[in-house]
Parts: sequence; structure tokens; C-alpha cells
Amino acid sequence: MKNKKGDLDYIKKGHSYYITLFSCLAIFIGAIIMLITGFNRLITQHDVHLSGEICNLVSEKMSNSLMFMADSARNMADALTEQNCRSLDVVYDTVSDYTSGRIVSIGLVDEDGNLYMSDSEKNEFEKMNLQKTALLADPVSISAPYRSTRLGQPVITLFSKFKYNDSHTGYLCVTYFFSTLQEAANTESLTNEIEIWLMNVESANIIQCAGSDPHASGGWANAYLKMSDINREYKPAFDAWYERMLNGEPAASVSYMIGDVRYSQVYSVIKSMPGWCVVVRIPSTALSETMDTFKNYIISFLFIFLNLVVIVISVVFNYWKRETRILGQLSVNDPLTGVLNRRAFELSSEKLFAHSKDASIMFFDIDYFKQVNDTFGHDTGDKLLKAFAGILKSYFSKYGIVSRYGGDEFVVLVHDIPSGQVSDMLDKIRHEVHSIRISDDKKGEDFKISFSAGIAKYPTDAADLTGLQVCADSALYIVKQMGRDGYRWYKQGSEASEAPDQ
Amino acid sequence: MLLMMCSCAGKEKNVSEKQDEPLREFTALNEVVDGRKDIYLITKVIDSNYWNVLVEGARSAGDAFGCNVYFSGTNNEMDWENQLKLLDQAVSLGADAIILAPDDSIELASKIEEIYSSGIPVILVDTIANTDSFDICYMTDNLEAGNKAAKEMIEKLSDMGFSEDEELTVGILVGSGTSQTINERLAGFYQYWTDNAPDSWIIIKDIQNCNGDMELGADLTASLLKEHKDLHGLFATNNGPTKVIANTVAEKGCNDVVVVGFDYSDEISKLISSPDYHASTILQRQYYMSYQGVETALEILDGNQTSIKFEDTGVIVVNHDNLTDPEVQALIEVN
Repeated sequence: MKNKKGDLDYIKKGHSYYITLFSCLAIFIGAIIMLITGFNRLITQHDVHLSGEICNLVSEKMSNSLMFMADSARNMADALTEQNCRSLDVVYDTVSDYTSGRIVSIGLVDEDGNLYMSDSEKNEFEKMNLQKTALLADPVSISAPYRSTRLGQPVITLFSKFKYNDSHTGYLCVTYFFSTLQEAANTESLTNEIEIWLMNVESANIIQCAGSDPHASGGWANAYLKMSDINREYKPAFDAWYERMLNGEPAASVSYMIGDVRYSQVYSVIKSMPGWCVVVRIPSTALSETMDTFKNYIISFLFIFLNLVVIVISVVFNYWKRETRILGQLSVNDPLTGVLNRRAFELSSEKLFAHSKDASIMFFDIDYFKQVNDTFGHDTGDKLLKAFAGILKSYFSKYGIVSRYGGDEFVVLVHDIPSGQVSDMLDKIRHEVHSIRISDDKKGEDFKISFSAGIAKYPTDAADLTGLQVCADSALYIVKQMGRDGYRWYKQGSEASEAPDQ
Repeated sequence: MLLMMCSCAGKEKNVSEKQDEPLREFTALNEVVDGRKDIYLITKVIDSNYWNVLVEGARSAGDAFGCNVYFSGTNNEMDWENQLKLLDQAVSLGADAIILAPDDSIELASKIEEIYSSGIPVILVDTIANTDSFDICYMTDNLEAGNKAAKEMIEKLSDMGFSEDEELTVGILVGSGTSQTINERLAGFYQYWTDNAPDSWIIIKDIQNCNGDMELGADLTASLLKEHKDLHGLFATNNGPTKVIANTVAEKGCNDVVVVGFDYSDEISKLISSPDYHASTILQRQYYMSYQGVETALEILDGNQTSIKFEDTGVIVVNHDNLTDPEVQALIEVN
């Protein structure tokens, strides 16, 4: 009981509410932090893996595009072989006028390196030593990109071997805009993130096919300078990656960091372009940024959820608090009259005795209460009990505690108040109670209300509640014996024949 | 003698950083005579040594071929927005032909297309644009220029007596990691070196980048010399780093190191002039770019179309051996 009352006080002060709320918040925020941390770690791992896969896919796409262009050149060469022309002059007359949206020009090279093309193209071939690349065609080879003198734009030339005049070998030179290859490199998503280069294995020279800086598109650079910003601890990994390329491995990947950004990089050998590889690089942040949006959605959802949880906790707690208060009151008070019930009175009186030098305990009975119930009904009886309790409270609650023991029995305990004052108050109460009128208009009956009371003093009459109850009950008995409607202080050895004090 | 500055190093960006720069009015480079063709020249930078040489080429061509040449430009190499306005202004002033060194090869492409399709000849100099709607571009093929630098380095090392079996290293200092000009020169150097240098002659993998900071460049060069006792070659991709390596080599008296750089400065000039050192520099021919540009513009206006759209104006390698050649002296004179 003591604990329950303590709990009630505790709850009334609201500590439990805040502790519960803050505990929930702390747990929830902790869970969110763990979730975000875990999410970030997963994203990083996922990004590194996925960016490597994307590099592989883009590299494969580039290789396939080059292969497609190589196949086109080879098909054209096969067609020329089928025609079996007498000389390269005849072949050149056939093909030189052919152009399409992507093909810039078509020329020929014979086994001795003689050129069949425009003068400006001849100059380019001499300057770039493209005859050497042409003779490597087996069946196809591809030049490094170079700037067309005639067009001013970057181009690449594909060479394909064919036969003419029965057994002579010629090399068909089909020049494409370099942008054809760049278009193949384009991706609808991550356009500005993926960097694609053609890389010369020996010199580490690179040519940008796609990347965030359009100004560098089609331009030459060198991987050593391009990669010079790699964090020092990752340089051995990059060197090992390049070493694998130099050793002729068909493909390899590497992951490194520049500043705080992690990059995945993959190369794959271009079979038709000897000495060249496709290199694809992607920052893992490219994917993280996409995933960050998703993460932000989750965090927003969690915070909305948190708010809902707080609201639900508040509502449930307030409901529980109200219920607890009602239950608490029910366990302490008499539900009809609002004064303490017997158990609460007994607990409270112990505390009161412990802190009091003297006290008086009063036992009250409403006279003939059963008749009131029987005659006027229980509702009237209840009203009488409430009215009587109200009068007792109005006089004694200031000095002590008022309780209902059951039925029409009330017990009052007051302390540190002179007996005379108690008697005066009892006289006034008696007068007030007499003024309560219960009547039945139909029957024309009128019932006078009175009470009987016995009083014992602490510590003179008894030193504990049980003893005091016995004494007060004894005095009450005498009052009842004497005809009710009065009160009496307990006197040791007194008899029923003695008149009540009032 | 004017000092040659690097032409277009590391300045290629999408957005101008100085959009509020005032527009420079066109001024006539020679006497304006009514009835002559009006050629408008728009350069990247006004009042720079490199660009002054290019402007001088246009002025000379105007005098030589009898046309009026007007000139304007921007205050920095990124101010493509003002170049856009200058192009509009040139058209509204009645330009018969325009010679342009574009500040941005992408941002200006559509304006160049617009002017070209309206029938006004457009000649590009120094830098090409990302379009084929122009008549011709006169510029240095920087890949080729890098090739020549590597060729010069190999020849000079051989001249110094280094055998093909002898192990040596070559260090590289660049002024920027993002300039297309520098990147192409570097790639050209690597390309030629890979194909032609002896296997035992190695380029040091860590390319030093001073990012335009001359003090840093000096430190990096000193570190290279200190850490690589077998270093016998230093290559710089543009004017600033060339000055730096020339200075450092002179200060330390490294007469067993071949220096190859770009452009003409007092620092590299002193080293080339001295018989104790082995230095060379690569000079562009920007005077020829604009001179040829004016001449071609007039030819186009006379109804002669160009058969090509790109012409490498070439470079000249200057070293102690050819310093007194008339052609080299003439080129140094205009620089």
C-alpha cells in the first residue's frame, strides 16, 4: 500500500513520464544512429562493389562498340575481296566517294605502305605513321585518335585487310569521327560521373572518351599526371594495376582514394587496337549520392515515425496516468462520500499518532439509518451519508482525518486540539445534523436525523489505534444505550446508566 | 625582345569567373582606309607578351595585304562571355571576317556556328572550337610539340655521351594538371619517348605539378635533383616551369642535366646561350597564326575556300646549336 501510494506520488510529479519519454527518445535516436552508420557502411561496400561492376559493364560496352565498328570495316573489306578488283586504283575509285554520317573518309594502303587517299590525309598518315598501324590489321586494327586536317575534328581510322587481283593484299582505311566512339561511351545515368579513356599501354597516354569535363573530351593526357593526386597509400595499388596492364593481362580493376573520394577503375584490352585498353573510372560517391536520396527518405520516415511514437506514448501515458489516479483514489477514498476508507484511515492514523502528542478518535453512527434506507430508499440513504460526511469534513478535516468505516459508521481522528474545542464542534455538528430533514411528501412522513458518537483520547485512554477504537466504541455503546442523539468521552469504568456528555 | 608567355595553360572552364569585366572596345591596328576589308581580331588576353606577338602578326598582315585590322580581347582567358559580346559587336560593326582565339571551345561554339552560317568567314587561332562551322584553325599541335621536345631531349642526352645502355632518369615539371595544352604536350613527350628512348632511360613516374606556384616548382625541382642522382634530364611543359627548372639548374650548376622547356624567357635564354649547359626550348609560331589568319580571311572573301580546317603552325626548337640561325633569330626577335 505504501509503495502504491509512493508510486502515485511519483507519477503525480511526472518523473516517470519524462524518463519514459527520454528513454524512448534515446533508444530511438541511438537506433537511428546505428541504422545510419550501418547504412553508410553498407553503401560504401556496395558502392565499391557496384562501381567496379559498372566499370566492367561500360568497359565491355566500349569494347563491343569498337568491335562493331571493326566488324563493319571487316565486312566492307570482305565485300572488296569478293569483287577481286584488278588494282587498288580501281578499288579506290569504287570506295573513295563513299561517306555516311559517321564515316569521314575511306582510303587504301598497299603492302608497301603506298597511300590512296586525299593529300591532307596522306600528310596525316605520314605524321601519325598510320601505315604501321594499317599493316597490323589481322583482320582489323584501329588507330589512335588524331585530329583530321580536313575537318579539324578528332577522328579514328579502322584498317581491314582484303585481297585484290587474286593474291595481293590491301588495307582498307575507314575513318570515323571520334565522336562515334564517344557516343558509344555515353551513359544515360551517371553521365558526368563515369570517366572513360582509351589508354596506351606503353606510354600510359590516355584519350578521354567521356567524363565530367567536356573540354577534355577527345584530348590527350597522361595517366601519370591524371593519377598524380591519388593518396600516397594507394599508389602501390595503382602501380600494381598498371603493371598488370603492362604484363598483358586482359583486364584488371583497382580501387583507390583521391582525397576523401574513393574511385573504382577497370581496364580491359581492346583486341582490335593493339597496345590500347579501355579504362573506366567511377567515383563511389556517384552511387552514394543516389543512395543518399534513398537514405534521406528513410531518415525522414523514421523521424515522422518517431514523432508519431512520441504522440502515441503521450496519449497512452496520459490515459494511463488518469486511470492510475482514479484507481489510486478508489483505493484510498470511499467512493460515495469522498472521505478516507477504513484501510486508508488505519494507515494514516499510524503516521498521525507517530507525530502527535495527543489526539482524539471519534466513532460516529447515524441513528436509525436502516430505517431511512427502508423508508426512503437507498438513494436517500446515500444522500444522507454524503451530507453527514460533508459536515464532518467541514469541521474536522482541518485538524485531522475523516473516514467512513462502513455503512453509517464514521471515524474521525483529530490531533493537537483541546477536548473542549472538540466538544464545541460536536455540539455544532449535532445542531447541523438535526437540521437535515428527510421527508416523504406522499406519505407525509418527516424523519429527524441525529447521530451518536463515542470519543477516546490518545494517549491517556489508550496508546494504539486498537485500544482507542475499543474505548471509543465503548463510549458510543453507552450513548446508544442512553437513547442515542449524543456523544460521550470515554471514561474508564463508566457505566451505561451514566448520561452522555451531550 | 619580348618574353613569350604560355598560350592557353589551364584556363579552360565552363563559367567565366570575372563576368563583370568591362568590355574592351575594338581599336584599329593599322591605318583605316575606306573601301578595304575590315578584319576583326579577338584574342584571349590583352597586354600579354604571347598575345602581343599574335596581334603584331595580324597588324603586319593587314599592312602587307591591304586591309583594316581591328583588335580587342578579354582580360583573362576564361572570360568567354565578353568574347561572346565582342563577337556580336564585331558583326554589328560590319566585320567582313573574324579571327578569334576562343576563350572556351564549348561555350562559344554555337555563336561561332551562327556567325559562320551568316556568311562571315571565321578563322580560329591558337585554340580550336568544338564545332566544324569555321573556315580554318591555325594552332600548335601540342601533341606534336611534345614529340619534338622528347626528340630534343633524347638527342641532347646522346650528344652528352650517354649510351643506350647507361641508366638515367628524366624528371618532369608541369604548371597545371587540368590544362589541355599541357596535357597534350606531356602526352606527346611520353609518346615519342616510349617509341624512341632507350629502355634504360626512364621517366620518373611522379610527375611534379607546381600548379602555377613558382616557389613550389623550385622546391620540387631541387627535390628531384637531390633524390635522383642519376637524373640527367628535366622537361617542363610550359613557360613558368621552364623558368623554374632553368633557374634551378643554373643555381646548382647542374651542367650534366639536359633542360627542355617551352617558350622564351630570360632564364632559359641564359641557359641556352651558355656553352656550359645543355638547354633547349620550344617556341610556338603565334605570329604566323594571325598573319596567316588575315591572309586566309582575305582569300576566302575573294571567293577561295580552304580545303582544310586545321593547320598545325608548328614549333621551332631553339638550342645552343641553332641560336644564331637567321630563322631562329627572327622568331626570337618577334617574341
